[in-house]
Amino acid sequence: MLRLGLKSLLANKIRFALTASTIMIGVAFVVAAFVTADSLRGTFGDLAEDINTGTEFTIRGQLAFGDLTEGIPPPVPESLVERVLAVEGVAAAEGGFFVDGVIPVDGSGVAVTSFGPPVAGSNWTVDEQISQFFLITGERPVGMTEFALDVGTVADYDFELGRDYEVITPTGPRTFTLTGTMQFGFPDNAGAGATFSLFDKQTAQEVLGYGDEFDQIGVRVEPGTDLAAAEQQLAAVLPDGVEIISAADATEEFSDAFETFIGPLQTILLAFAFVVLFVSAFIISNTFNIVLGQRIRELSLLRAVGATPRQIRRSVLTESLAIGVVASVVGLGLGMAGALGIRAIFSTFAAGLPSGSLPLSLRTVIWAAVVGIGFTVAASLVPAIKASRISPMAGLQEEYATTSRQGGVMRPVVGGLLLAAGLALTGLALFGDFDSATPQLITLAAGGAIVFIAVAVLSPLVAGAIVGAISRPLPWRFGTPGQLARNNAMRNPRRTAATAVALTIGLSLVTMVAVMAESLKVSFGERFSTAVTADFVITANTQAGLPKPAGSELRAAGLGTVVGFDFDRVELAGLSDVDGIVTELITDVTAVDVAGLAAVADLDITAGSLGGFDPAAGVLIHEDAAADYGLDIGDEVVLGFVSGDERVVSVEAVFTRNALWSDWIIDQSLYAEVSTTSFDDILLVATTIDDPEAARAAVDRVLETYPQADVDDRQEFQAGIESNLNTVLVISTVFLGFALLIALIGIVNTLTLSVFERTREIGLMRAVGMTGRQLRRMIRWEAVAVALYGALVGLVLGLAFGVATIAAIPDDIIGTVAVPIVWLVVFLALSLVFGLIAALFPAFRASRMNVLAAIADE
Amino acid sequence: MTVQAPPIHAAARAVAASKIYGSGDTAVRALDAIDVTFEQGRFTAIMGPSGSGKSTLMHCMAGLDTVTSGQVLIGDVDLSQLSERDLTLLRRDAVGFVFQAFNLVPTLSAIENITLPMDLAGSKGDSEWIDEVVDATGLADRVRHRPNELSGGQQQRVAVARALAGRPQIIFADEPTGNLDSNTSAEILSFVKRAVTEMGQTVVMVTHDAVSASYADRVVFLVDGKIVDELADPTPERIRAHMNQLGA
Repeated sequence: MLRLGLKSLLANKIRFALTASTIMIGVAFVVAAFVTADSLRGTFGDLAEDINTGTEFTIRGQLAFGDLTEGIPPPVPESLVERVLAVEGVAAAEGGFFVDGVIPVDGSGVAVTSFGPPVAGSNWTVDEQISQFFLITGERPVGMTEFALDVGTVADYDFELGRDYEVITPTGPRTFTLTGTMQFGFPDNAGAGATFSLFDKQTAQEVLGYGDEFDQIGVRVEPGTDLAAAEQQLAAVLPDGVEIISAADATEEFSDAFETFIGPLQTILLAFAFVVLFVSAFIISNTFNIVLGQRIRELSLLRAVGATPRQIRRSVLTESLAIGVVASVVGLGLGMAGALGIRAIFSTFAAGLPSGSLPLSLRTVIWAAVVGIGFTVAASLVPAIKASRISPMAGLQEEYATTSRQGGVMRPVVGGLLLAAGLALTGLALFGDFDSATPQLITLAAGGAIVFIAVAVLSPLVAGAIVGAISRPLPWRFGTPGQLARNNAMRNPRRTAATAVALTIGLSLVTMVAVMAESLKVSFGERFSTAVTADFVITANTQAGLPKPAGSELRAAGLGTVVGFDFDRVELAGLSDVDGIVTELITDVTAVDVAGLAAVADLDITAGSLGGFDPAAGVLIHEDAAADYGLDIGDEVVLGFVSGDERVVSVEAVFTRNALWSDWIIDQSLYAEVSTTSFDDILLVATTIDDPEAARAAVDRVLETYPQADVDDRQEFQAGIESNLNTVLVISTVFLGFALLIALIGIVNTLTLSVFERTREIGLMRAVGMTGRQLRRMIRWEAVAVALYGALVGLVLGLAFGVATIAAIPDDIIGTVAVPIVWLVVFLALSLVFGLIAALFPAFRASRMNVLAAIADE
Repeated sequence: MTVQAPPIHAAARAVAASKIYGSGDTAVRALDAIDVTFEQGRFTAIMGPSGSGKSTLMHCMAGLDTVTSGQVLIGDVDLSQLSERDLTLLRRDAVGFVFQAFNLVPTLSAIENITLPMDLAGSKGDSEWIDEVVDATGLADRVRHRPNELSGGQQQRVAVARALAGRPQIIFADEPTGNLDSNTSAEILSFVKRAVTEMGQTVVMVTHDAVSASYADRVVFLVDGKIVDELADPTPERIRAHMNQLGA
């Protein structure tokens, strides 16, 4: 019986290849997800170790809450270095700081910018061990006119040693001579794409605006020193709010910080993998069903001559096991190739990720085998059980069942129950309370999967009618071949439904994403156009933002009102929510120049006013926050900042509109007291110059020395946001496109099997005068009818999912449901093309069929 | 074996037609330089033991298969000169078929099956004639039914009606009653006979059953790819006698 299963596989290599390829793609996705994430982990892990080697301890300010990804610790005074050096066993101690947004300009005037890794400046510590930088060529910079750059940036742009370059610093643009190139970490790692400009300590303190403070002090101890004792002694000399961490902890912390983006990346890729595998399972199940249906005579003969149901079942499962094994092995290889591809995409967009090895861990291999074999065997379970129940008499039936049995009452009942369960889970995921994202995502995925299974169960009930309606124009447009195509698409609703469901799943997800992106776009547009009244929005094309002097210079130029916005995290202590439960909430806060706010934004104040706002002790809150915590004008709130500073502020106004700012707004003067930032995240400008072009020219002139500044008028800014959302939409569509590709393979599979099953019928039609062209046309439009059915159901489901998800998202993020008609039409057109492509191979095969052999076929 | 000059009124004929499968030592000569003429308005039966080449002859005459050497003509058209596509169009427009089983497209109704060749040609056909043919089948009230709603005999009648509907130059029937009981067979064969006598059709039928063959005007006997004998105005008894002779 084992041999039988394998023989049936080898008898049809193309079907085997197609079936295996669906799962293969899913496995490849899983492998690529793990390998990419592991590769990134390896890279940043190595980097973390490199930069902490030789530094036994790091001393720095304590964060009040959160971790390094959320805030920069408050600085420590330079004077602390002397006290640390006095501790017994300390060989060296040196302070360093790190400022994002220090931008070198190359010889041709191009500024080095990046949306991903930092473009930063730092002081180059003297002690080789403590230093995180490694000299490659030239010499260390000394004095006010010299700097060094990392080798990656020097290679990517055209920097030459010995030449003078402009560097945009937080204190303005300055000119330095490039004296050397260096590497962050050890020379054998590629610095993870960051750009570094290094100066000596005095120069850095002055040009980076740090004064006599450091972000951290690195400590090296004498060899042989007892580290635990040294740590204790060092801790003893530290003032309050300053902590000491070991090299191991620092390394781990650094890796953890990167894990906050590697983890989600891995999750997203795995989510796509899950979708692909899920869709593949449907294809496999359907293929097995059809093939076993066609082998009904053979199987019943086996039963008649004494094969037990168990043996039949095992032979089917052996076949699927073989498919799973092959798919896992090939998928593993494809996944490695996919990981290479993903890395290539990263290096294009995120400027130079390192090209280390692609780590294939045991965990990855195990997962590849588990999902590859698991999904295949699971998908073939139901067909295997059905096959084992074939009666020994079944072979005596005259013809193959050309129409399916209607499933009776069981189908609508089971489908309905599944649908209810799936919707309930999905609803729970969307609207329920979850402590963390992971269980919520798992609930959502499970709910979604059950909904799709319910759709697959219910779909045959309506497939005939809907396919009939879709294919109504076919006879009219394509004559008899069109009529036959329509009949064939309608003749077996169960098969049509099972074939189409893969496309339904893929397209519903694509549609959902499109609806959400469009709604987000429209919602943002509405909020932006009502809330922001400024003429220009100025952002920076580096993470750091715009140096404060940029704003000051704009103000000095007298163009109108210029308001800077800073975004940060803040801890709200002692608030109680509507149920009276006291919470400590970490939320977003925006620091602005409140006095100028009314000129650049229309907040739609519903209580209190901006007039007489106390910059040192006032806060503006959104009506949602006011409602959530029962706050009213005059109520006091304690704001805790990452620096550890706390301020008591009172609510002075409640506003209803927000677009670029958060629910809590404080004044920049208060923020300056509790933070070290020397950047604005956004500048809004309301000009007094009437002519838009003249205003634009005036703003550009002032910002000439800030190449990182991006000046947008209202339309441009909105278009920029929309284009970003479109990018997200396109990327997710491309990834979900793999699910669509598998759906296409599914249609090819089913159609090929159907053509095989209808060999005699095709032979008959050829005998009585159907031309090869007419035959191909018949098969082609059957494929299109099935594809369009799958696509239509997918669009409807996707719209429903999209609207439901939007309902679950707070109104101030997505408040309006917008349907991207153009995208939906494109999706439908694509499905039509998919149908046409899917029909190519089966149609070719059918038209190549020998008429005589076909008529004689049993 | 009779060799005669081709009459002007031949619906189809074979001239020195040979069909060889395989090559070298394993070559099988299915048709061995056959000369035969099927006259217009006549009902001819082809008989012979299994492997005698009777089906091959029919397939080659009908444009479903090609001869290795020699000529096959339907009317004045030499089939060996036609491309695959032209052969298909010839089958559609000039030839009618009745097979032993699986004659009908399951997704089409009886009437749609009857008009299928015309529909494929994109022509309306002669609707009066089609009505006449449908009436002759006695299935006028069942033409909207699908094949699986018809009995075996009814299905074969629909198949004959399809062959007649396009008024082809010649109809080929391959064991058209092979799957039917004797009463139903008689009914179908009478229907075919009427098509010849009353409608002037030309029919060539392959069969191994003497009773079936007795409906024909003429029986041609094939053995080992050669025409060995023929019989005019046959009766079952005479046919059996000839068959026994050939087998002996």
